[in-house]
Amino acid sequence: MRTADLELAARCRAGDADAFEELYRQHARRLFSLVVRMVGSAEDAEDLVQEVFLQAHRKLAGFRGESTLGTWLYRLTMNHCLDHLRGRQAKMSRATESLDDEDAAEPMAPAPAVPPAISRMDLEKAIAALPPGSRAAFLLHDVEGFEHREIAAILGVSEGTSKSQVHKARLKLRAILRR
Amino acid sequence: MSCDIYHDLLGDYVDGARASTRPGDERLAAFERHLPACADCQALVADFTSIRRTASMLEEHVPPPRLWTKIAASIEEERRRRWWQRPLADAFPGWLPIAVAVSVAIVIAGFTWFAWNTAPPEVVQQASAPAETLPVAAEAHYDEAIAGLQRLAESQDGSLDPGTRAVLKENLAVLDRAISESRAALADEPANTLAQESLLDALDTKVALLQDTVALATDEGTLADDAAAPQRN
Repeated sequence: MRTADLELAARCRAGDADAFEELYRQHARRLFSLVVRMVGSAEDAEDLVQEVFLQAHRKLAGFRGESTLGTWLYRLTMNHCLDHLRGRQAKMSRATESLDDEDAAEPMAPAPAVPPAISRMDLEKAIAALPPGSRAAFLLHDVEGFEHREIAAILGVSEGTSKSQVHKARLKLRAILRR
Repeated sequence: MSCDIYHDLLGDYVDGARASTRPGDERLAAFERHLPACADCQALVADFTSIRRTASMLEEHVPPPRLWTKIAASIEEERRRRWWQRPLADAFPGWLPIAVAVSVAIVIAGFTWFAWNTAPPEVVQQASAPAETLPVAAEAHYDEAIAGLQRLAESQDGSLDPGTRAVLKENLAVLDRAISESRAALADEPANTLAQESLLDALDTKVALLQDTVALATDEGTLADDAAAPQRN
């Protein structure tokens, strides 16, 4: 896997356009879906994914194979998304939220349980209401299927923080879906 | 008993962790004993499981075909710009820390020289030459490193597949042209700091490319050895 990644990266660095298109085809769909859910707009996602791949093209010289190319691309993508969301928040003069210390979990209230079959549309809307940090961790874990150690590497946080963010996200989603 | 003490385990449990597969995890075992008697925790597990299951089935958003066209066009536009027209950080990523270190070394060397020397201004002017020779020393260091890496890369050349070998050689040729152009610019104007930086940039990029080539060839060689090993037995 690493050898294949190193070889693909070397071909991209050497200016092989087919290799870079191969890299794009391997990862674009999952990255695009993730970005749409992170920023809530397909148009913004298109711009962001374009920026991510351009930056990846420039930065491939720095790829040494310590992680997989996929993890490396996800890291670039999430940094772009979180920067974009922070910029948007600053513009809208909202209160800023730290990645590691977001709002407290919703208190457990004696309310009806989440229906066993949640509609995907309801879940998509609820995900959009999550704070950026826990949305990122939730999407990577429950939607994309990454392990917490991988999420820790992608988001630059500890494994414990990743677990805590996913837990907070699930609690918040539960509260929204029970309304 | 407060359920709060188990909250960090709820996620693991929903993700499939069980005491039977984690021998020695007493807290998880305690949580499993607690769960049948706690309606709140049961409700949380059920809701989290439902959320997790639905999340894993969310539909994929498909990027429009124009996205790759736009990316490819931007890359092509960037490639058409000559390397010295691009920002240094983009043209030669990874070189800037060395540039900063070399610049700081030059400034410190110059400052130290001025502090220690009481010579008249015209002598000071002449004495600034050692600071300007620093890039030359760095160049010699690079040349030595490149020669060693090139010998190593050539000795392992056979491990690379022909396609990869061809693109790597093509890229090395581009870098060699950049090095020649920078050296020619420096021959005309030895104090041109941009040309000095560009030369060191290109040399650094060549070192990185050769290091990658050696690493790649070593990996390929190891894989080939691994693949061949069972046949020997």
